[in-house]
Amino acid sequence: MVHTTMEGSLFEPTLYLVKGMCILDNDGNRILAKYYDKDVLPTAKEQKAFEKNLFNKTHRANAEIIMLEGLTCVYKSNVDLFFYVMGSSHENELILQSVLNALYESVSILLRRNVERRVLLDNLDAVMLAFDEICDGGVILDSDPTSIVGRAALRTEDVPLGEQTVAQILQNIMNM
Amino acid sequence: MSFKRDKKEEEDSGGNPYQNLDKTIVLQEARYFNQSPVNPRKCSLILTKVLYLLNQGEKFTTQEATEAFFATTKLFQSKDVMLRRMVYLCIKELSNLAQDVIIVTSSLTKDMTGKEDLYRAAAIRALCSITDSTMLQAIERYMKQAIVDKNPAVSSAALVSALHLSSTAPDLVRRWANEAQEAITSDNAMVSYHALGVVAGSRKNDKLSTVKLVTRLARAPLKSPYALCLLIRLAAQLVEDDDSDAAQPYIEFIECCLRHKSEMVIYEAAHAIVNLRKTARDLAPAVSVLQLFCGSSKASLRLAGARTLARLTTKHPTAVAACAVDLENLISDPNRSVATLAVTTLLATGAESSVDR
Repeated sequence: MVHTTMEGSLFEPTLYLVKGMCILDNDGNRILAKYYDKDVLPTAKEQKAFEKNLFNKTHRANAEIIMLEGLTCVYKSNVDLFFYVMGSSHENELILQSVLNALYESVSILLRRNVERRVLLDNLDAVMLAFDEICDGGVILDSDPTSIVGRAALRTEDVPLGEQTVAQILQNIMNM
Repeated sequence: MSFKRDKKEEEDSGGNPYQNLDKTIVLQEARYFNQSPVNPRKCSLILTKVLYLLNQGEKFTTQEATEAFFATTKLFQSKDVMLRRMVYLCIKELSNLAQDVIIVTSSLTKDMTGKEDLYRAAAIRALCSITDSTMLQAIERYMKQAIVDKNPAVSSAALVSALHLSSTAPDLVRRWANEAQEAITSDNAMVSYHALGVVAGSRKNDKLSTVKLVTRLARAPLKSPYALCLLIRLAAQLVEDDDSDAAQPYIEFIECCLRHKSEMVIYEAAHAIVNLRKTARDLAPAVSVLQLFCGSSKASLRLAGARTLARLTTKHPTAVAACAVDLENLISDPNRSVATLAVTTLLATGAESSVDR
């Protein structure tokens, strides 16, 4: 059972807000997932069962947010991909929403707006790095998509000039 | 011809090149890392496969993980940024499965103190994931420097790592509080947030210094919305512990945050007030904010508003009764969670007339 603090009390002053993030395909299969709290869904089996349940409850209704098994899950989908960010049921939903926006926007920039499963799998390494730049062990590391993408260290030759940072462009010129 | 093959592939694996990976084959591929010069693209793909397997919950034995880990360390000879970042990620993921991971300490320390900013931040995080409290002293000097580094990524990486380490080596990390204190006033929103988290964490058991910290920061409010949310939580906790007039400045600070431009902060403040204030009249500004949220086009705002109002019903049904009309609009909300909350809240507070409707 997922541990939650008592209803009706104050939010806890902690930086460990994100319980998990995942990207599922249109069959509800995991493409990437990360769980940060060892008390919440500790085994891969429990995680996948939760993801199936989450997917079944969310893939038809694009309702942005759902309370499930003691977790608040914010989500967003596009074509054949589903993005989720999970937090405790006793957490500021809008902070979780900001993490989801960061995740979705970063991936969208990385995939050059082709947010689809096939393109994502072709760029899986960059998406893994972006995942790692957004959340570190449950702490929100960054929520600004441009700086996340900049830090996910793209292969610079692949990035359209308009989406590179000045530093990256300079670096390219220096390397030439 | 090629179309045909593509189609077959698609049927085989649903178009997922990673789907039918075999652990033993991938681990064998990792031997390729020994080759020199390193082919960054090819090696990066193999690392991605290893990470994908781990991410799917595939079990690695200690021996398998250790072999993969040692193979990965060979890739430090490459200067390719993307590959190096994947190496760091692999180190982190394998660090609690493999043995003798401290072997990479010197490589990571070198990257952490080097010139390449993109390496530094990630190297700090990888290094702190393999370090134990005995080795921590050796890198303490670099960590302190990194916390006050002018590159926000480096500073944040060091602060968040310090926070993780503070559960195993609280005394050591407490010695970095001065540097963290300095970083609170950073212009970067995330650095400021992480620094406040580290400082507040180090003072968790020291009420007096928490009071000092909150008092000082409440007077010259922070710019970072995340840091403000944390500050509101700290202030709210002080109010809860101390009900006297001394808590009045904290209440004023939280009420002031109701007028912030970020919704996240507004909600944080409203939620705190709803849980702290005793009389319905004191609650009015917070309730009217939540009422506005109920009419938002964003589902997470409507849920946040409805949920906090639902909680309030047990304490102040009258305060919530004023929002009956807004809650009634939510009964047919496309989001089921919102609709359910609205119905239960109305049933708990509603007069007979509204139940009929």
